[in-house]
Amino acid sequence: MRKTLITAMTIGLMVLAIPAAVFSSGTKEAPKTATVNMFQLKVEIKDALDAYAAQYSAAHPGVTVKVETLGGGADYGGALKAKAQAGRMPDIFMIEGRGGYNIWKDYIADLSSEPWAKDTDLAFKVDGKVMGFPVAIEGYGLAYNADILKKAGIDPATLTTRSAYENAFKVLEAKKAELGIDAPVAMAASVAGGMWWVAAQHNLAVYWGGGLDFNDTSIIDMALKGKLDDARFLQYAKYLQLLFKYADKKILLNGSYDDQVGSFAQGKTAFLHQGNWVDPNLKQLGVTFKMGYAPHAFLDTPEKGLFLFAPSWYCVNSKSPNAEAAKAFLNSIASTPEGHDYMVNKAGMIPAFKSVKLQPAGQLSRALMEANARGGNYGVFFGMLPDGAGQNVFGPIFDLFAQNPDNIDQFISDMKKAVANLPNMK
Amino acid sequence: MKHSRMVNILFVAPCVFAFLMIIIIPFLFGLYYSMTDWNGVNNAVKFVGLKNFKDLFSKPDFLYSFLITIEYTVINIALVNIVSFSLSLIVTSGLRRRNFYRAGFFVPYLIGGIVLGYIWQFILNNILVDIGKTLSIEALRVSFLSLPNTVIWTMSVVNTWQYAGYIMLIYVAAIQSIPASLMEAASVDGANFFTRIFRILIPMMANAFTISLFLTLTTSFKQFDMNLTLTNGGPATRFLDTPVKASQLLAMNIFNTATANQMAEAQAKAVVLFVVLLVVSLLQVSASKKKEVEM
Repeated sequence: MRKTLITAMTIGLMVLAIPAAVFSSGTKEAPKTATVNMFQLKVEIKDALDAYAAQYSAAHPGVTVKVETLGGGADYGGALKAKAQAGRMPDIFMIEGRGGYNIWKDYIADLSSEPWAKDTDLAFKVDGKVMGFPVAIEGYGLAYNADILKKAGIDPATLTTRSAYENAFKVLEAKKAELGIDAPVAMAASVAGGMWWVAAQHNLAVYWGGGLDFNDTSIIDMALKGKLDDARFLQYAKYLQLLFKYADKKILLNGSYDDQVGSFAQGKTAFLHQGNWVDPNLKQLGVTFKMGYAPHAFLDTPEKGLFLFAPSWYCVNSKSPNAEAAKAFLNSIASTPEGHDYMVNKAGMIPAFKSVKLQPAGQLSRALMEANARGGNYGVFFGMLPDGAGQNVFGPIFDLFAQNPDNIDQFISDMKKAVANLPNMK
Repeated sequence: MKHSRMVNILFVAPCVFAFLMIIIIPFLFGLYYSMTDWNGVNNAVKFVGLKNFKDLFSKPDFLYSFLITIEYTVINIALVNIVSFSLSLIVTSGLRRRNFYRAGFFVPYLIGGIVLGYIWQFILNNILVDIGKTLSIEALRVSFLSLPNTVIWTMSVVNTWQYAGYIMLIYVAAIQSIPASLMEAASVDGANFFTRIFRILIPMMANAFTISLFLTLTTSFKQFDMNLTLTNGGPATRFLDTPVKASQLLAMNIFNTATANQMAEAQAKAVVLFVVLLVVSLLQVSASKKKEVEM
């Protein structure tokens, strides 16, 4: 009896060991064929990208591009770390700024000599070297409902200074019942609704880059050393105060993304503080009114530009044997008609490459593309901040200011303190 | 058949293997990483000793999370146990359709914390506020989730709604195991309802309190899923002159630190959470055990 048992267990253990042995030796790849593994986080373009990868693989014998998508609130960074620890680092992966670059820099290949690098202003650059392929252009100003503004007698072209905004908001506030709106602005700032990024990231970017040259990072460089430009920050705080005071309180303090966009789509607010990524949402909600972007003009002197940025970049894994195939795939997106068609028509993005001539469908995206062609826009630099600064440090400060917008001195002193601590947060 | 050492070892081996790989080794790694400057990826890990732990106690957001986690745990233990004990008295009182009620009170426990958080967020932010507006009830006009001073209480109520049914089942089982003759004898002797509960029922089911208090203590201390979906840490409040998130419990604070790529710091926080939880729950269990009686 005992012997049988031991024999059975031994056999059992051996059976368990067989698959392990098989799998560990079975992953060798045949030469000449390359499989490019891409790991990306934009859930909204998953289908378009999968289709493009399949099309590319079919057109290039010997190369297979496999796309894996994880995002939309899922922990992309965590999953990528797990892959790296498991020795399965993808050939193409994404970073969302300086923080991601610092973590992954050992894996990021230099792409300076790629043909697309000269065709864009938005490549991810470190010390003059191109390290990341811009996935798209995103951008924002203050989106307005042209119909409501027309009824209220406001010309959006005049909204180029803070005082112009103040007057416009006053007019809208006074005519609320007549226009059928709840409040002039749909703005969100709540930690609870997960909307800290609208205020503490996108709106704060107005202070970092507004009214400056597109690549002028002087203000944020100063902040990274722990200092605010007091005069400039006071103007910014007054502008933010204006937005908070004339915002729909429920959306501001508790609203989610859907509440905020929904209110604008239903014509319950005249302005929306969101970027062109709301185009598909607005289409879904059946919006028919005309809209456009007014600048975030927070200064006393006129500003006309919008904020343009690449939200994320593709990086090529420099340690991968398939790095060349990966570079070729990215190049095909930037420089072939099929790639352009994929970016603009299939994925609905605004390409960051000047040679692309196709027009996007959404009204806000088109406004942004026109602004890009016109020039004079502002850079978005919040990606240079240390990880967690927006969510864990600035987020609560903006939430608190939204709860009590009269307390502007407290907001300024809180921000001063938080910025002074930035150099200590790696 | 005589037991042989070899067979024992073989039978235990799979469990020991799994326990080692899934619990013990990651735990030791965690302890190690809490004393380094690891960011989650970098292979050049530097050992920094107890620096992370020292830094923790100068961080207002961590101190605040720590304090409200204790506050939340206390509120939660009281609420959940009072409610579930009352429920268990009701459903063992010879009520008609008592099985239906038992099942009904238990059902919220079957809803996952994530879903539950979203449901209650919708109720608190939209339905209650709309009712307040329509009926002009001033107290309901502002969402309970946007009041920094009481948001912990709101979370606790939602947690009680979910968890009380589960604890109730433990109490119900304990009450049913007490011989009916004891209770009858007491009422024949003239003990009223409350005397019977406090002098007989509660002492006789002290072991059920031990386990229930332990369960509520540990789950409240580790609360995360409902916290994430219901309040997401918001709204903001002021603590030690720094804006912090009013309802960010310890587990969520750890999560937010880790997702900001401060892995070592997050790990240090997790070690603190573990030690505190271990000490507090050991104290609680040993204190409760002394109250138990043998039948």
